[in-house]
Amino acid sequence: MEEEDEEARALLAGGPDEADRGAPAAPGALPALCDPSRLAHRLLVLLLMCFLGFGSYFCYDNPAALQTQVKRDMQVNTTKFMLLYAWYSWPNVVLCFFGGFLIDRVFGIRWGTIIFSCFVCIGQVVFALGGIFNAFWLMEFGRFVFGIGGESLAVAQNTYAVSWFKGKELNLVFGLQLSMARIGSTVNMNLMGWLYSKIEALLGSAGHTTLGITLMIGGITCILSLICALALAYLDQRAERILHKEQGKTGEVIKLTDVKDFSLPLWLIFIICVCYYVAVFPFIGLGKVFFTEKFGFSSQAASAINSVVYVISAPMSPVFGLLVDKTGKNIIWVLCAVAATLVSHMMLAFTMWNPWIAMCLLGLSYSLLACALWPMVAFVVPEHQLGTAYGFMQSIQNLGLAIISIIAGMILDSRGYLFLEVFFIACVSLSLLSVVLLYLVNRAQGGNLNYSARQREEIKFSHTE
Amino acid sequence: EKTRQVSLEVIPNWLGPLQNLLHIRAVGTNSTLHYVWSSLGPLAVVMVATNTPHSTLSVNWSLLLSPEPDGGLMVLPKDSIQFSSALVFTRLLEFDSTNVSDTAAKPLGRPYPPYSLADFSWNNITDSLDPATLSATFQGHPMNDPTRTFANGSLAFRVQAFSRSSRPAQPPRLLHTADTCQLEVALIGASPRGNRSLFGLEVATLGQGPDCPSMQEQHSIDDEYAPAVFQLDQLLWGSLPSGFAQWRPVAYSQKPGGRESALPCQASPLHPALAYSLPQSPIVRAFFGSQNNFCAFNLTFGASTGPGYWDQHYLSWSMLLGVGFPPVDGLSPLVLGIMAVALGAPGLMLLGGGLVLLLHHKKYSEYQSIN
Repeated sequence: MEEEDEEARALLAGGPDEADRGAPAAPGALPALCDPSRLAHRLLVLLLMCFLGFGSYFCYDNPAALQTQVKRDMQVNTTKFMLLYAWYSWPNVVLCFFGGFLIDRVFGIRWGTIIFSCFVCIGQVVFALGGIFNAFWLMEFGRFVFGIGGESLAVAQNTYAVSWFKGKELNLVFGLQLSMARIGSTVNMNLMGWLYSKIEALLGSAGHTTLGITLMIGGITCILSLICALALAYLDQRAERILHKEQGKTGEVIKLTDVKDFSLPLWLIFIICVCYYVAVFPFIGLGKVFFTEKFGFSSQAASAINSVVYVISAPMSPVFGLLVDKTGKNIIWVLCAVAATLVSHMMLAFTMWNPWIAMCLLGLSYSLLACALWPMVAFVVPEHQLGTAYGFMQSIQNLGLAIISIIAGMILDSRGYLFLEVFFIACVSLSLLSVVLLYLVNRAQGGNLNYSARQREEIKFSHTE
Repeated sequence: EKTRQVSLEVIPNWLGPLQNLLHIRAVGTNSTLHYVWSSLGPLAVVMVATNTPHSTLSVNWSLLLSPEPDGGLMVLPKDSIQFSSALVFTRLLEFDSTNVSDTAAKPLGRPYPPYSLADFSWNNITDSLDPATLSATFQGHPMNDPTRTFANGSLAFRVQAFSRSSRPAQPPRLLHTADTCQLEVALIGASPRGNRSLFGLEVATLGQGPDCPSMQEQHSIDDEYAPAVFQLDQLLWGSLPSGFAQWRPVAYSQKPGGRESALPCQASPLHPALAYSLPQSPIVRAFFGSQNNFCAFNLTFGASTGPGYWDQHYLSWSMLLGVGFPPVDGLSPLVLGIMAVALGAPGLMLLGGGLVLLLHHKKYSEYQSIN
């Protein structure tokens, strides 16, 4: 019943738009799958969007999945090994920011996506060649090139999602994209070690060549993503031709100085984002030893519990996406997610309770936050700045992750896990503070962030009438 | 007691050859603690707690050096003694950990013949006595070393007493009080007999009656002072307050110790040991007489994987010895402060914001009602 309503509404919402833009070229003649105004076609686009990010998320965690093999075959210590991640993060501090501009201003969304996908492919190939030639610097350079494409591709993916699904199933789409990313990470974690052992059996010995070939095969996922980028570009152009749908930009001049025009709620969203994610990803990166030492877990059990956040977020992201779509009230959901994360970290820090409870809670709240937080940006930014805003958000998230990872390592070595947890609690608490502030500011300014789904519908109708 | 007047004294043997006998006397307002360390025989400590600030140690060297040393060491007056016990470090153990899997029945690997600490020759303790830090170091190597494994190496026992409660700068940074005495064992520069040798110490102590002292493993949430170590091991002689030994199950393969050089330290359960199977300590015999129940346990440092002694030919481990209640670590003020701010700030914000909104809303609705 409700689903039918949803579909009807989606189609209704499409109706007046088409009428406004003048007569389209006989959409009724096309089958549903090929008709850009129909749900079935949007689902096809959604599928391509999801696989667009799969390759980069799969390859991003290649080093983690092959940590022991990389360290052994390339003869590097953990510090040098971690540089593989640092080389990915550092360029993105700048490039995410420009990634938004490049999409909006230089390449357009279609060419931007294709170009970034190419960077991801080339980066992964160079990374693998570094293994084959036993040159660690080449691997680092590969990660650098990979990083240039990786995060910018995520911005492009988000921009595509907004351009196709804004006002329709946007939160659900964000949720699905995220779960696809998590599936990519999880598949990578479980597949790469197995793949390495198969190649090892095939070649008869382990070594840098085995590592390189394994990574090269992993790069196939990047080719898959590049194909998705090409298909998306075609379909997007076709939709533009048929529906006179625009390419996600208005043609207004965007300057670097746009950043100073960002509203206070947007800055608060940035702070929430950075403070939240730095308390999740570096924790997962350093978590395995925590579970073995504090809770006496075996190595396999520690790996399992450490990945549970991703495992939970894969199925739960679409569910929460739908929930947030149906209810609205994004700030309240973000508040719940951040508060639950705070509770989860406190459980891990100050109790000896079974950590599965805390980690499952963390997984749930992490999924909920992603579904409720990221779409909020679209409510506070004019559409032509959306790419810039998302790019900026990812950029400072990268900056935060790069810096906090280093700090977290230092804290862990000098003060231990309890202090590290307290540090993460402080970060989450800062995030919580920003959520509360965002709620108050939104309330005081009469903003639209915390509208329920019904209120959003009413406003949309009043605009179209 | 909070503070004690601590003095370190080397009791000389005027009669014969050099023998190390270190007397640590810690005087409080109502009590005196005596720690007597000696490398006569295997390295040993006799710890005695008395309920008077005036108790004294009496040493009879000729008796102590005789084959029957009973009565050669006494704390007077005898009726002031509240607690007494002893620890004897009898042997240095070494295992070959190559080809050892974690699931093997003997996870340590094949043992090499142990070094008996009774057959070590020790430095002159007077030279290493430092009254400023209240510390002294026993440094020794085997008297007979045909394979010259200790040619450039030594086994050192650094003993330190404290006049007040504090915490050392080196991990594992155990909290110590004026009632305790810290022992730091370091094996430096000795050549291991295998590529991946694990070292261990055999420790003997005196049982109370027929039972052995109890070994406790305490789990804690706090690893601030010993990163990634969430456990504290304790040896308790009888019900509290009595004597205790306390250590973090961690050793270090580098100086200064850090997380990257941390080795796990395993303690075997205490088991009753026959006196003749252990190297005998004359000072323990002299103080406690010949009728004693010995209990022994092994401490082993490191695992077959990860860092180990083989990295830098260095190994250090420390423990606290004391009388009374063992020091209990609490959360540090910094942790408590950060938590107070981290939880207080959003809470206050929520409260304050809610209040403002409520008042605002009230005004707004009043305004509406007038309309």
